[in-house]
Amino acid sequence: MPATIKTTHPPLEVQPVFTGDSAPLLRAPEKIQSIFAVTTAAACLPLMAGWLFFGYHAVIVSVVSVVSCVGLEWLYYRVTHSPALFGRAHAYLTGVLLALTLPPFTPWYVVALAAAFAILVGKAVFGGVGHFLWQPALVGRFAAAVILPALAQLAPVGETGKTVTLTPAQWPLLARDHLLLGDLDNVAQDRMYSYLGWSDRTAPPGAEGFALPHPADTLGPLTRGEEPAYSALAYPRTDAPNREPAVLTVLPPVGDFLFGARPGGVGETCAALILLAGLYLVYRNYVKWQLPFAFLASAALLAAVAPVRLAGPNQTIEWTWFPLFTEGLDVGFTYVCYQVLSGAMLLAAFFLATEMTSSPVTTGGQVIFGVGGGLIAMGLQLYFDTAIPAYLAVLAMNTLTPGIDALWLPRVFGQKHFAWLRRR
Amino acid sequence: MTRRYGIFTGGIDIPDEKQATLDEPIAPAWEAEVLRVPLAPCGGQAAEPVVEPGQDVQAGQRLAEAGPGGVDIFAPLAGTVRAVAPVTTAVGRQLLRMPAVELVDLSGPREIPTGPETFDWSSAQPEELRRRLDESQLTTLRRRPQPLGRWVRRAAKAGCEVLVVNAMESQPYVTADHRLLVEYGEEVMRGLAILARAIGAKRCVLAVDRRRTGDYDHLLAPAEHFEVEHVALPHKYPIGSDPILLKVLTRREVPCGGGPLDIGAAVIEPAGCLAAYFWVARKVRLNGRVVTISGEHVTRPANLFVPFGVDARSLLHSARPPYIMGGPMIGTLCEGDAVIGPATNVLLAIDPTPTGSPSQCIRCGWCRDHCPTRLNVAVLNDLYELARVESAELLGVLSCMECGVCSYVCPARLPLTRRMGELKHAIRRLRPGPAARDESLAHPHPETT
Repeated sequence: MPATIKTTHPPLEVQPVFTGDSAPLLRAPEKIQSIFAVTTAAACLPLMAGWLFFGYHAVIVSVVSVVSCVGLEWLYYRVTHSPALFGRAHAYLTGVLLALTLPPFTPWYVVALAAAFAILVGKAVFGGVGHFLWQPALVGRFAAAVILPALAQLAPVGETGKTVTLTPAQWPLLARDHLLLGDLDNVAQDRMYSYLGWSDRTAPPGAEGFALPHPADTLGPLTRGEEPAYSALAYPRTDAPNREPAVLTVLPPVGDFLFGARPGGVGETCAALILLAGLYLVYRNYVKWQLPFAFLASAALLAAVAPVRLAGPNQTIEWTWFPLFTEGLDVGFTYVCYQVLSGAMLLAAFFLATEMTSSPVTTGGQVIFGVGGGLIAMGLQLYFDTAIPAYLAVLAMNTLTPGIDALWLPRVFGQKHFAWLRRR
Repeated sequence: MTRRYGIFTGGIDIPDEKQATLDEPIAPAWEAEVLRVPLAPCGGQAAEPVVEPGQDVQAGQRLAEAGPGGVDIFAPLAGTVRAVAPVTTAVGRQLLRMPAVELVDLSGPREIPTGPETFDWSSAQPEELRRRLDESQLTTLRRRPQPLGRWVRRAAKAGCEVLVVNAMESQPYVTADHRLLVEYGEEVMRGLAILARAIGAKRCVLAVDRRRTGDYDHLLAPAEHFEVEHVALPHKYPIGSDPILLKVLTRREVPCGGGPLDIGAAVIEPAGCLAAYFWVARKVRLNGRVVTISGEHVTRPANLFVPFGVDARSLLHSARPPYIMGGPMIGTLCEGDAVIGPATNVLLAIDPTPTGSPSQCIRCGWCRDHCPTRLNVAVLNDLYELARVESAELLGVLSCMECGVCSYVCPARLPLTRRMGELKHAIRRLRPGPAARDESLAHPHPETT
């Protein structure tokens, strides 16, 4: 064969050459590290509001949370000899998010334990960033929610201060003259159902803040018919004709809700800053607006239409549909706003449900995720006495995320509709 | 008359860096002293050389005899054959090593030739035009070139109704087709009319960038004369991709794994029209093409008319390799000895974005959001890692046109485009029947300009 070749050159064939990098040779500047860093920075905004309203206890919670998350992640990767993914940027993010969700009076060892759950159970077991099923910070928060009531029961009766702060019925909040530096253990109890607003009151003598019922705990009995004398939308109808709806009297004013001067978790309360940070994330494209919008809109819709047990005439309690319209639109609107804002729904919608790994990939899937999460969160808040309805809803939808991803398949260019169904 | 059209979902806006060469007139490539004319410009089997080393050849003399599915190779310039040597050039997505005829002692004019029309093509029968295009042994000047005559015959056989000239150039830096339209617009229009007549297309469309319409005013009269629709489309990558362009223009979608001919449309680029016009009307074979020389390391960005076989180093002498052949989004890296072939519309000396090692997918979904074909690239990436080819086919990975958008936006720097390409390749290898034998024919690779 080689003898028959008439030319002097060896036979040449057409064959591909390996070139190293493949197209495209230009890349967008965005990196995973920057996503985590910017999200962490955005999450620090509501955290700082928490520091303001809950004093150094909140700072301790945040620091313990972040330090133990980062330390545990470092330790885990050190022990298992697996590479530390993304320079532990995600551990910082998890730490900050966990701190946002925890009550400000959480003891440091509970915070550390929650961080251990978040990093080890929430993330490391699944194989790290990109693989976990549940939002790690919420895994930690769930663990804390299980641990905290148990601790409250274990607390000795004699130590009144500790017992008060661990009981979920009374949540501490610093008064406006003791912001940032006040001590949450030194608070005076406020009378239930007579909330006077935060902004025009100074601390009671000898105390640095108030012990208040959590707004969700105030709303709950009013809509579940557990207080026959009151209901969320009106006093009993046998009362005087010019009665005041309960939502306008026993709950904090709207201004307190917006700026965070109400009891709640460290980062749950300041609606204005959560919105600001969340919208910045939307602007940076790290969060698709559809998910938080679907979450909050479906929650508000359910609150507006779902039946609640309200006080009726003659000390009776009856199921009432469409609470939005029962007492006129203005009262109904306030009621719906309180239902949405009183828990941690805003934080869950903007920061926890939007975790990229544990939410669906497609926009349509994210809308399904958001609607489901909003409905579950509001349903739990309305009908079940749970401490963390919004977080439970997000965890439930996280569980469904692989299913949503597998079933929600938009039509691909050039394919027929439902091609994936037809060819199976 | 310029009509406005819609736009597609997905896609990205990339900084397009065209200012450097946008107003540079087409100049001849004076610097080249050696030509290594590649013998397999369409990929496939290389042509067999018919010249001996040491032989003097004239410009336009036949250098090599076509293999099956290829074209004859002609000398772009007069010179002396030195050897048959291997070179590399980009064809389609790959850089191919192939034999080339090396010419030295070059002489002869290097400009785009001028001359009168010698053939009355407007009254010629379509079959006569097709025969002439077969004789031309030209190739289309796309990323994956095909013999022009065979392309025309396939389009005619498929009964194409629409012939689209894709002058979108949605990739950064590329201005070769833009300059061609500015300086040789009327010839391009005539070539388009010739091709439309040969194919039997009823509707001709010239698709240009909306921002450039002011430069194309002189095209309006010929467009009206030859009944060519002049369409300005917004600038958004990858609108220059054939399936996307056809979707925007005709509202028809190229089926999954198919080509434009499946929806009765043929797509050509201005350079191919020009070559067809020069051959059919003037009997002049263009053995070169307009190439944009640009990039941050180039001292004098330019649009050059380069004979086939000029190596990249002599065009980009001051810049250091690696160079990029075929554009930053869909091109390949190459070294200085890579030569200009029919597929090379741009030669760049830029620094590729350093990617480092890819990290883990965090399912941000940006690839899916920006994919012009709405593929769920994140899930397909999982399937790639699990080697589940059939599931990937079910999810429509054959619709992927490898435009590079998913890799561009990926914050984890995953080589998603390459992985999609490998999935497609695996599917076609597994599929029984003739498709596996001649991949390039059965599954025409979607083109992006």
